[in-house]
Amino acid sequence: MSDSLNRFLAFWRHFSGAKVINLALIIAGLLGAWALISGSIDNPGRYLPSPLAVAASSVDMLYKGLLPSYFGDTISRLVIGSLIGLGLGIPFGLLLGLNRTVSDIFFPIMNFFQSVSGIAIFPIVVIWWGNSDKTVLAVILYTCFFPVAFNVLSGVREVPLRYIHSAYTLGASKFQVIRDVLAPGALPHIATGSRLGIGFASRAVIADEMLAGREGLGWMIFTGQDADMTSQVILGMLMIGLTWIVLDHYLLRPLEADTIERWGLVHR
Amino acid sequence: MNVLTKFSLYVQGRFGRHRLRRFLLGSIPFVFLLTLWQMNTTFEWLAPVFIPSIGGVIDAIFVLQSDCSGLVGVLSLDNSCLMTTHILSSIGRVLLAAIIGIPLGIIFGILAGMNRLVSSVLEPVGIFANSISGIAWVPLAIVWFGVGSLTTLFIMLNTVFWLMFFNAMLGTRGIAKVYEQSVLTMGGNRWNIVIQVYLPGAMPSIITGMRMSLGFGWRALIAAEMIGGDSGLGFMIFTAAEEFNVEQVFLGVIVISIIYLVTDHYLLGPLEKWTTHRWGLTWKPT
Repeated sequence: MSDSLNRFLAFWRHFSGAKVINLALIIAGLLGAWALISGSIDNPGRYLPSPLAVAASSVDMLYKGLLPSYFGDTISRLVIGSLIGLGLGIPFGLLLGLNRTVSDIFFPIMNFFQSVSGIAIFPIVVIWWGNSDKTVLAVILYTCFFPVAFNVLSGVREVPLRYIHSAYTLGASKFQVIRDVLAPGALPHIATGSRLGIGFASRAVIADEMLAGREGLGWMIFTGQDADMTSQVILGMLMIGLTWIVLDHYLLRPLEADTIERWGLVHR
Repeated sequence: MNVLTKFSLYVQGRFGRHRLRRFLLGSIPFVFLLTLWQMNTTFEWLAPVFIPSIGGVIDAIFVLQSDCSGLVGVLSLDNSCLMTTHILSSIGRVLLAAIIGIPLGIIFGILAGMNRLVSSVLEPVGIFANSISGIAWVPLAIVWFGVGSLTTLFIMLNTVFWLMFFNAMLGTRGIAKVYEQSVLTMGGNRWNIVIQVYLPGAMPSIITGMRMSLGFGWRALIAAEMIGGDSGLGFMIFTAAEEFNVEQVFLGVIVISIIYLVTDHYLLGPLEKWTTHRWGLTWKPT
């Protein structure tokens, strides 16, 4: 209880004071510049709607219940896809990392598949399964899996040999070495890989929804452009940006920093 | 000693035993996958509509390049040399975005690293622009520039610029104040500091940013070409998929990953290593 209270206080201290005023001023200035530009061009409704128009469209979409539903669709796809990706990628990376020969065998091919960006795989998957949720999920899974597995693999390989040897010397079994040395030793890399994987997945979700035409934030901005409703496009972009900022800065980055601080192998 | 042993010894001496072993081990999955692929064609487990034959994928190159009028046609991005035209227009866009975006990103990044006012304005914008993934800009870019190369160039530039900006800024901020002050003490001016301290000091971070931004940019470019492009590899695989032309899709995907692999591992990776070695301010215990 006191811990969470402390966290809240730290959070509050971080955002109160000069910084928040500064940030508010800058945001106000940017909004002002945006309003000025949109006021001075021809046909702002098509090219750059004013902030007020975007706000009006957000109220409209909220009232119709479209915004929450699209948002929920995108988030649930991202969560399901990246959870499966992490669930497969972490054990796979650990397994490959156990044996030097095995990892030598699989390293180049994983490198190859990692450099096929997930979105490039989309046309192939769409031929297999059509424009379905299955396609979207498969592409998200693919984008998430490889960075995770790759990072976990290099994490396991970077655990210094003397830790493993000393555990063996003290009479540990193979399983104990995995559980007590390799897994915790690779945790910082697992955290980094997860953040990277989820980052790639969140980009892939948007692109997939546009290409496959499944309802969600990506679909919302794509159809908004088709229907000449630029305010809806900008609203969708703002939502996508805000979602990622919240996800990255308040969830994934602290998680990564905490893991590195707790389990990072800093040589002194 | 027979010929085979001689040959094996020569190869081992030429490439190194460990590298040879790694290479041989690493090629096992590729060989396995290719065999599986070939067997799929021979035994028809999955219809060729879903998995094309290897020969078909190679044939696709010649189909795309049919009646191409030699090097002139290739270089003039002729429509009869579709394959090279798509490859060259994708690479050209990457180069153009790199030539414009990287210097701009470095300039603004160093400015923001030097000056608190600049960074306090540009940083929030950058954080926001970076978190709207490149692909989410495509619809707005289509509204502004129409479907075509300007849209894809914009997406690429947007990705490259902000990543370079952040890396240059963080690199500049990470430089110890001592270097700056010592240049000032010896009578240097602000310009000297930029050239002699900030630029080399931030160089490792800048090169890392370059590698990152080209990687992210390449992915964003492929996606942008699919949605809002009229040429390029992304456009090629997407239109091929719409026509159920699986051979061309497979070919395009393989070409995309090979281009990325080659630039990343043989150009940018070594460059990054070299810069870190040359300018990296890492403290090495002696």
